[in-house]
Amino acid sequence: MKEMLIQSIKNLFSKPETVLYPAEPSPPPPGYRGLIVYEESLCIFCTKCELVCPPGAIRFTYTDDGKKKFHYNPYLCIYCGECVRACPKPGCLTQVEETAPPETSPPDWDSLEREAEESKKRFLASRKKKKG
Amino acid sequence: MGKRITVPFGSQHVALPEPIKFVFQTENEKITSVEVDVGYVHRGIEKACQTKFKYTQVGYVVARVCGLCSISHTLGYVTAVERLMGVEVPKRALYLRLIVSELDRVHSHLLAMGHTAEVAGYENLFMQTFRYRETAMELLELLTGNRVQYDYATIGGVNRDLTPDVAKTLKERLKELKERCLWIKDVFENDFTLKLRWKGVGVVTKEMAKRFNVVGPPARAAGLETDCRAEFNYLPFKELGFKLVVRNGGDIYDRNLVRAYEVINSIEMVENALEGLPEGDVKVAVKGLPDGESFVRVEAPRGELFYYVKGSKKMVLDRVRIRVPTFANIPVMKELFVGMDYADVPATVISFDPCLSCTAR
Repeated sequence: MKEMLIQSIKNLFSKPETVLYPAEPSPPPPGYRGLIVYEESLCIFCTKCELVCPPGAIRFTYTDDGKKKFHYNPYLCIYCGECVRACPKPGCLTQVEETAPPETSPPDWDSLEREAEESKKRFLASRKKKKG
Repeated sequence: MGKRITVPFGSQHVALPEPIKFVFQTENEKITSVEVDVGYVHRGIEKACQTKFKYTQVGYVVARVCGLCSISHTLGYVTAVERLMGVEVPKRALYLRLIVSELDRVHSHLLAMGHTAEVAGYENLFMQTFRYRETAMELLELLTGNRVQYDYATIGGVNRDLTPDVAKTLKERLKELKERCLWIKDVFENDFTLKLRWKGVGVVTKEMAKRFNVVGPPARAAGLETDCRAEFNYLPFKELGFKLVVRNGGDIYDRNLVRAYEVINSIEMVENALEGLPEGDVKVAVKGLPDGESFVRVEAPRGELFYYVKGSKKMVLDRVRIRVPTFANIPVMKELFVGMDYADVPATVISFDPCLSCTAR
């Protein structure tokens, strides 16, 4: 009983455990896994990141003359960092500590996936024709 | 002759943290028969692992089976594939895996204990337990870079190394966490009200535990010496001071005490691992494709987790089979409920710490 009273009085004057979030900042710890940042000037377009990505958040679309374009969906990404480890060029793909902000109109990923597949097929077919 | 009433309990219920469904036939207050359904949150993960994902990606997929024991699932899968392909994992990676796996056990056990306290009507203890659990979560976030999905273990090692700064913070905060966990253990062991509520409720005897093949803390509380950490050497538990916790009561009180003692043992193991962390690489490159079949049993916080992997020199595996601890504990729950008061059901279910996202997957 005595212990309980002492504890109660202590609790009345002690600081709360929670963080008053909007008033006080609540930063992520150092080394937090966040968004993937892409640097196009360093990229050699080996598409290794596309191959290893578990949810398929990185896709490349092909133009007819064989150029590739990088697409990234931060709302599909699971932030595992597998693409960063697979990338052969250091600095091309990096993981930063920020996460994606809330989005009301996320990218139309379904049609982009379709486009990526079709453009790849088109590109491979045209390459075959050239060779043949 | 009393009045017969059918009471559905779940899939959504205020006393249940997990969507399991029980249909009880009761006579006055006593339960006469039970039906269980576990398929409410089925997601088809096993099928996806066999069709859509490459074997290197499956580790990240099975981590999403469960939020609380995500490292156990990855560890089970990764160990199975490593044994299949004959990969020698560096010792430092094994130690780091052990640290994450044991910290995960700490926060999962504290969650289970908090929920049992809440269902017993002890909201204050529930809050305290969860407050201390937060420390373990923050440490894991610092170590792995994410709060719930660690994505830490991978085929051939671990994904990120432990820096000296993080190791220092870990050591400091673990000391504080250990003190708090000792206090929690003390409350769960000696509190008068909790003893009244939990002693002699939902008793699983040793014979029952053997017959229904109970796993995890409920089995150890019943006096059955079963722990995959002692039986298999998938991680270096023995050299880091693993102690098997066994009690003989078999009721809710003992189940919680097994958890409380395991939490302290886990913290000790993490401290030992940090102390004697070997130097070297954390990852080896893996070449080739899985061919053949292998299975592995790891100790998840809730009990024995079984992984079966079969491959035939293809990128996509032929079969991935997961058997989770909650599924193994359901038959004994069914047996236990018959003849029990309906009022004791929530406390008993929660004391088994069911994880339905694992079970239905």
